Amino acid sequence: MNPLTILAREKLKTKKVTAVMSAKGGVGKSLISALFAVLHSKREKTVLIDLDIHGMSSAKLFGIENKLHNITRDGIAPFYIQGLGIITLNGIVKDRYVILPGSNRGDVMESLISYSDLRNAEHVVFDMPPGLSDEILILNRVTKYNPMIVTTPSKVSIKTVEQLLQFLNDIKVTPKYLVVNMAYINYENTIIRPFGDSTYAKKLSERYNVSLIEIPIDPNIEDFVGRIHEYNGEIIKKLSTLL
Amino acid sequence: MHEWSVAESVIRTLVQWSSKNRVIEIKKVVISVPSFSMLDVDVLREAFDMMKGEYSFSGTLLEINIKEPVFKCENCDSTFSVNDVGDQIEKIKLNFGEEYPLHLMPALVPAFLVCPYCGSHDIEVSSQSITIDKIEVEKS
Ligand SMILES: [Zn+2]
Repeated sequence: MNPLTILAREKLKTKKVTAVMSAKGGVGKSLISALFAVLHSKREKTVLIDLDIHGMSSAKLFGIENKLHNITRDGIAPFYIQGLGIITLNGIVKDRYVILPGSNRGDVMESLISYSDLRNAEHVVFDMPPGLSDEILILNRVTKYNPMIVTTPSKVSIKTVEQLLQFLNDIKVTPKYLVVNMAYINYENTIIRPFGDSTYAKKLSERYNVSLIEIPIDPNIEDFVGRIHEYNGEIIKKLSTLL
Repeated sequence: MHEWSVAESVIRTLVQWSSKNRVIEIKKVVISVPSFSMLDVDVLREAFDMMKGEYSFSGTLLEINIKEPVFKCENCDSTFSVNDVGDQIEKIKLNFGEEYPLHLMPALVPAFLVCPYCGSHDIEVSSQSITIDKIEVEKS
């Protein structure tokens, strides 16, 4: 009977939950999580919880690195940016690095969920740590969720995605989307695929019955780091087809 | 303020425990909190007492134990106590104020404290979480 687990379950009980996962780091999972949450926040009350506590990228993407969360009787108050709520460990530890052993990481992750003020949320989006780590077990412990798996077309990434899909299949969780990030560049109306085509990803999506979506590379995205909510380019246009 | 969330987690646990065990009245609940989390015991009790009525635990008493964890350095094998890192804790409190990170999330300890002997962050803490140690029910 862990009071943290029980409170986390309670907080998520009536919410729609999306977990953005990746089998590998460096595939753009945090960017996809951020834009996915921004999109959803336009139509339902959405809170993005950054559980990738070693990266804490959402704070950088939204430009809230130097802010601390307010703590009220109802818990950690999300930062609100154009209606999207954001909870990040960065708002607890300021810009400090966080290196933690696995079991502590799990506790911190559970604390972030259970101590957050989610009264105002209909949809909770988790930016999960990359890889097949015990964080996925903790997520399973506290809630049902829709996984969204992010990968690149690279073979190394896709191989590990298959393991993630197998794992989810074994625990009877059905992923909704397989997002192939950095799939192509649209250069003067010519499609270039610098990391190879998505043949293998397509096979996987068919075998596991997951919808596949290809996301382009947008060189302009760097200009929006710190104000990602203002980005209105190709990536978010493509993501909005998921709505 | 964080004490309110802790109180809620205790009450939610009681709700679940009592329905699982078909118990209607709980006399007392005993919890332990780690000393370095600096939870305000009076505020925690006040929050518990304010909330407990809503969940029909009006008659339940909250007993709070403060536990002194033992720290163990995985790098140099030393063990040490909260007192040995008191100056470090003070510094963090100065930097963050009332809602300091170890108050909100005791599991952050290895990220903030270093071994006083060798300076390593590779430290393990016994009993860092808030636990429910005992639930007493009225004998029927
Ligand atoms: Zn040491």
